[in-house]
Amino acid sequence: MSAQKILTPKPQFAWGRFLRTFGTLIGFFLIVLFFASQRPQTFMSVRNLLNITQQVSILGVVAFVMTVVMVIGDFDLSVGTMASLSGIVIGTLLQAGQPLGVVIGAALVVGMTGGLVNGIFVAYLGITPFVATLATLTIFGGLAFSISGGRTIFGQVFPDGLTDFANGGIVLATANEQVVRLPHLTIIALVVLLIVWFVLEQTVFGRRLYTIGGSMEAARLAGVRVRLLRLLAFVITGFGAALAGAMLTGQLATANPTLGDGLMLNAIAAVFLGMTMSQEGEPHVLGTLVGVLLIGVLANGFTQLGVDTYVQRILTGAIIIASVTLSSLSRRSR
Amino acid sequence: MTAPSVLLRIRHASKTYSGIPALIDVDLDLEIGEVHALMGENGAGKSTLIKLLAGVTAADSAQFEIKGRPVSLSSPQSAFAHGLRFIHQELQVVRQLSAAENIFLGQSYPTRFGFQVRWKQLYAQAEHVLAQLGIESIDPRRTMGHFSPGDQMLINIAHAFVGDDLSRESGGALVYVMDEPTAALTGAETARLFRVIERLRGRGCAVLYVSHRMDEIFAIADRVTVMRDGRVVDTCPIREITPLELIVKMTGRDLQHVYPPRNEPLSEQVLLDVRGVQTRLVQAATFQVHAGEIVGVAGLNGSGRTELLRAVMGLDRLTAGAIWLDGKRLTPHSPPKAWREGIAFVPEERRSQGLVLSRSVADNLTLPQLGHVSAGGWRLAHQRERQISRDTGESVRLKARSPAQTVRELSGGNQQKVVFGRALVRPPRLLLLDEPTRGVDVGAKADLYTLIRDISGRGTGILLVSSDLAELIGMTDRILILRGGQLVEIVASKGLTSERLLALCYENLEYVGSKNPDP
Repeated sequence: MSAQKILTPKPQFAWGRFLRTFGTLIGFFLIVLFFASQRPQTFMSVRNLLNITQQVSILGVVAFVMTVVMVIGDFDLSVGTMASLSGIVIGTLLQAGQPLGVVIGAALVVGMTGGLVNGIFVAYLGITPFVATLATLTIFGGLAFSISGGRTIFGQVFPDGLTDFANGGIVLATANEQVVRLPHLTIIALVVLLIVWFVLEQTVFGRRLYTIGGSMEAARLAGVRVRLLRLLAFVITGFGAALAGAMLTGQLATANPTLGDGLMLNAIAAVFLGMTMSQEGEPHVLGTLVGVLLIGVLANGFTQLGVDTYVQRILTGAIIIASVTLSSLSRRSR
Repeated sequence: MTAPSVLLRIRHASKTYSGIPALIDVDLDLEIGEVHALMGENGAGKSTLIKLLAGVTAADSAQFEIKGRPVSLSSPQSAFAHGLRFIHQELQVVRQLSAAENIFLGQSYPTRFGFQVRWKQLYAQAEHVLAQLGIESIDPRRTMGHFSPGDQMLINIAHAFVGDDLSRESGGALVYVMDEPTAALTGAETARLFRVIERLRGRGCAVLYVSHRMDEIFAIADRVTVMRDGRVVDTCPIREITPLELIVKMTGRDLQHVYPPRNEPLSEQVLLDVRGVQTRLVQAATFQVHAGEIVGVAGLNGSGRTELLRAVMGLDRLTAGAIWLDGKRLTPHSPPKAWREGIAFVPEERRSQGLVLSRSVADNLTLPQLGHVSAGGWRLAHQRERQISRDTGESVRLKARSPAQTVRELSGGNQQKVVFGRALVRPPRLLLLDEPTRGVDVGAKADLYTLIRDISGRGTGILLVSSDLAELIGMTDRILILRGGQLVEIVASKGLTSERLLALCYENLEYVGSKNPDP
């Protein structure tokens, strides 16, 4: 850098910085505008928008808790099969005649135990998160199959109260004989979002997670109990994955050993999309929210346009890679 | 005009790192058939000079001539093409590959049809290279991880000789630069390396030999160049100088700094009591630090200075002995406990160990005391953090736009002030400083010295590790001398000279080892 450059700074708008921070958000609104212009009657209706929030609520819960481990620089591949396992635990215990409260509590305990196992492997035994959670991914999936005997549990086993709750919502308004509801699952996802946001952004615990993610060595020398905190982060993620499994099972009145498996990739994609929005490339849960909504809007909008679901997957993948690439290119050019 | 006997000529080599000069107008000649020792304290500029020769770092200005012809050393490839070979003190090996593959790393393997590796031929070639070095004990087929550190270093050294047939007269101009090659070698392995160096000398090569081991320098070198603070102080034949004179040349710096004097008399109260402490790298350390006292820690690279601080900080497990702070035994010991008990730590590598570069000034300052700063010990108090950041920033004269500025954007000196400031957010009982002024410009240094004196004036005990001997003598009350992980002597700083201090670090030459790379 020459001395002249320093002496004569030109006041100019930092486009690069602006695009880096808001590019994904702008892209999100452009996509919304596109679908709105193509399907003005149906897409932008309050009903449809609330419908989208319900469709993404389960993915949202998984992505929000995934953000917690990714803040440390770890990730958890086992969330999908954990959600499946949680559903199977619920189905099996309901078959055995256990009360609903106990059943859901048991599923959440299973989730936290799974997270604890992940955390012990990663934080205390030093296994890389990729290998450790890839192994538990297989183990949790295998457990789901062996507990259920490979069968799908459905029908009368699930009490009406659970299914009605998971598919219902709080009535907001009634117009033209149509009821507009705020879905219960959306509310659950919002509560999880609020809790994760508070924990990550407003507590000592969250700040320490971010410093571990920034520099594990510096955090350790500054007296942060790195191993314990990494362990706790995995427990939180396991809990969220089990909660998502319970939501999924309740909504569909079905428990299947592979029901939740697909959640993991989309959840990680949502966090990556969110990371493009922060200056230092750290995950933030509000960024993850944008990522989740982007994925949900794409699925909903493409379906309304009649785009084939296989093609949808290709397009969704392309949009994700484009967004992350643009962000990393603008970061490199600084 | 270059004399015909000069193989490599360096003229006017200068290099500045973000405003701090590391090399200032360095001239150096390597003659044909010469072993030329390069000596200097840590940070004298030896490593920077080697990096320029290796084409790893670009000089601000420099002229190089090989056999009288000007050459440009702009990349590792051009340095190699001009016949320069490098042996670095750090092992540069791939543990998963065989010894032969490591020896030929980065070279093209012998192949059939251009892609099928001819392993037998590769192994035979590796054996040939090793045999030239007089090494028979190493099987080139075995993977690197099986070998002892000494053997690995020999294989690393063999890597530098690939393609240069040692049995024949040197065709190209060959200059071997060896940066503390014996650090991991045993006596017998060192002797073997010296025989190789003798052969190189006989073939008309030149060797630039960097070492902290005085006995080696006098055993093998023809001439010696002493560097200090980025400049060449003197070059002379080894016969015309004594070890003591060498030490005087290495240390005899101009007094750049006036160290603030102690204002209060020393307290009788023992603050830190370390008794017979032993970790993996420290042996039988016993010493005390009084309240308000500044105790220096001196020693060569790898003598266990950092490791001593790590033991006090609870970072390395104690295998024997105990540590008392204010009469309270610290057991079990850990970094969170150390900070809680009022021990603050300024680590050696501020960018990798001291700071979380991606976070703000405020986040970095409050990190170790986050529990104290926060509401109820768990909820962040942003307002209070900003206030503390402003106050602390002011007390260490930090120049930052705001507490929210990312630490990555600060200059080196200001980054170091953040690391310092963090230690002061809650007044510490004991402050551990590891090379606190390294890579810090002169102005920031003066600020830090004043600050250290102020802190000790308030009754805080300080353990100061530094390679800057004048700094140690100027700032401390007593100095612990470490050699090979052992606390061998405790000396009073008053009346001590840099020469005497460096000689104390060098004594018992067989224990002098080196582990850490030069800064």
